[in-house]
Amino acid sequence: MVLSEMKQGSIVKILNTDRVSEIVRRRLIDLGMMEGATIRIKRILPFGGPFAVEICGQWIGIRRCEAKSIEVEWAS
Amino acid sequence: MNIALAGNPNTGKTSLFNILTGSYEYVGNWTGVTVEKKVGVLKNKVGRLIDLPGIYSLNPLSRDEGVATQFLLSEDFSLILNIVDAAQIERNLYLTIQLLEYGRPMVIGLNMIDVAKSRGFQIDAKNLSKRLLGSPIVPIVARTGKGCDQLAANFQAMKERKVEPLFIDYGPELEQAVGTLIERLNHVELPSKRWMALQFFEGNSLVRELLQKHIASSELTALFEQTEQQVISGKTGIKNLQQHIRSVRGDVIRAILSDCLTRTKEVEYTFSETVDQIVTNKYLGIPIFLLFMFLIFKFTFDWVGTPLSDLLDAFFSGPLTEWLTQALVAVGASDFIQAVLLNGIVAGVGGVLVFVPQIFMLFFLISFIEDSGYMARVAMVMDKLMEMIGLNGKAFIPMIIGFGCNVPGVMAARTIEQPKERLLTIILTPLMSCSARLSVYSLFVGAFFTQHQALIVLSLYLLGIVVALGLAKIFSSTLLKQSSSMFVVELPPYRFPQWRTLMRSTWEKGKGFIRKAGTFIFGGSVVIWFLSYAGPGGLNVDMNNSYLAMIGGLIAPLFAPLGFGTWQAGAALLTGFLAKEVVVSTMNIIYVAPDLATLQGTMANFYSPLSAYSFMVFLLLYVPCLATVAVIKKETASARWTWFSIGYALMIAYLIALMIYWGGKFLGFQ
Repeated sequence: MVLSEMKQGSIVKILNTDRVSEIVRRRLIDLGMMEGATIRIKRILPFGGPFAVEICGQWIGIRRCEAKSIEVEWAS
Repeated sequence: MNIALAGNPNTGKTSLFNILTGSYEYVGNWTGVTVEKKVGVLKNKVGRLIDLPGIYSLNPLSRDEGVATQFLLSEDFSLILNIVDAAQIERNLYLTIQLLEYGRPMVIGLNMIDVAKSRGFQIDAKNLSKRLLGSPIVPIVARTGKGCDQLAANFQAMKERKVEPLFIDYGPELEQAVGTLIERLNHVELPSKRWMALQFFEGNSLVRELLQKHIASSELTALFEQTEQQVISGKTGIKNLQQHIRSVRGDVIRAILSDCLTRTKEVEYTFSETVDQIVTNKYLGIPIFLLFMFLIFKFTFDWVGTPLSDLLDAFFSGPLTEWLTQALVAVGASDFIQAVLLNGIVAGVGGVLVFVPQIFMLFFLISFIEDSGYMARVAMVMDKLMEMIGLNGKAFIPMIIGFGCNVPGVMAARTIEQPKERLLTIILTPLMSCSARLSVYSLFVGAFFTQHQALIVLSLYLLGIVVALGLAKIFSSTLLKQSSSMFVVELPPYRFPQWRTLMRSTWEKGKGFIRKAGTFIFGGSVVIWFLSYAGPGGLNVDMNNSYLAMIGGLIAPLFAPLGFGTWQAGAALLTGFLAKEVVVSTMNIIYVAPDLATLQGTMANFYSPLSAYSFMVFLLLYVPCLATVAVIKKETASARWTWFSIGYALMIAYLIALMIYWGGKFLGFQ
């Protein structure tokens, strides 16, 4: 599964971020959004707009194209 | 003593800087980089504080972020003041660890301790200090100043302390490679060789550049690749060196925190969540944003700013001019001196200063929005639209601000990480129709379009936006092609801004405007006035024989195809470069009109409605005003791009005005 398929409110674990562009991946890692981290989808903006996710108590907005490249699984 | 202030973005670094220094000393530029770093003298006079740009890691992503690493590599300082957001301590310590590996004395300010407590974080500062080489850790609240004096009290003693760099074991393979690299650097004088080696293996491009001065690039590459192979073989889930180093550091941080951090409760951000549900709502998001913009303009131009500006204007043209006249007469000043002061300086500088209330009001409201946390949401709501034209959501903010005044608009582009997207935003923001241009429109629509005033003005605003968006698309797919666009934005929790912070940032944004009025607008006014006062025939000549008329007449033929080839139009546009609103005053002088009605009546002899519209379009687009050009120069640090922003604007203005004038003629308009 990829992040962009998930519904608002889902809690998921990041499995793989290899397909995200280098520059964005590094910034996401800076913010703690790396493989193994658990995130919650806070808001999905309409018309193909960005995703807002919560990780370790902070909120981050990312583009949908990035969300499409992040593999996730349901967090247990 | 120099103290480097380092920390993650959005952790209250600037608040702490302001509190510890009390005032800005000067703005310093360092070797090779043009990004601003603030330097201030500490209140307790023990040294200077250097505010480095906010970074997550010493391994820089963009040039801007490289400033901090460059600072460590090449500048002289004796102490690091690391500010750590207590509520985000795990992420923040990642930078702290790297700074400790560098091996300089460090004092840590544990900021937002109040927020952390309310979220159920209990941090054992004493224990944490022990785990971080005994660096003093002081809990503070930078927004209110709590604990900051205590923090500053540690500087003097810490400076004397000799510290060893923090040692973390990165596993036998990497440690061996680090050893090899340090040995190769045996003969060179470099600070913190182990730190450099580690940063090199982490992929730090700035450190690599420095090492290449001593070791051949091919050797470095070979060492890097060999080490990477050794480290990742036999480990699952580790794909490169950077990841390995990061995961080792992450383990160290978690081990430290398991000792020093207790979480008493899990907190949900119900307030921010509710607000976000409304302001980023599917249907309401954009209307709410537009409503906010509308309110900002109402406050700035209708409710508060303009009435104050009018009062100031009345003061300048009334009592101030009278007192000055009386004083000048009393001291027996010559007619010439009187004319310079009253018609030149008071008219010119005063004409700009009257906009101070509006500008400060606008800055105040923008600071309010920035500090409340809403700005990041606007960027998110607008991102999709901006992506289509090769920009990102953050570029929308400078353009909106540009409607007030292009100068702060251009400055607001600083928040954009991608250098190319930032540059594009800077050169396109001047196309937003600023408030100064509105004064010119008012003059013209009153004379030529009494029936459809609002519609005509609106069409000009829209034209500015359409041209900017269109050019963004063109430039981003040609001149400024992006290799990788990026949009990652932190969405801070909402909070009510503090008065103190608001006042401070309003002043910081607005003070440059006042300074400019006192310097080059002052000089420019004198020159323009003198050109209208003097001519080949001597001083105090008839306006039509003045130098201004000659210069205006020189360029007037160029404008003939656009429908306004008079020396008056040429001169007005020339002076309009100083500040767009000067066009109005220049026309007042040129057409010798005592009031607006007379002026509008006279103008009917020189323009047709069509050529008036063509003139307004040209004025909207032709060149950024002098103040904007100056700020473009400062922000891009490139003469080439500054000239480009003038050149493309002139061309596009000429082209569009020409199309409108002849297209209109063809359609039978007058």
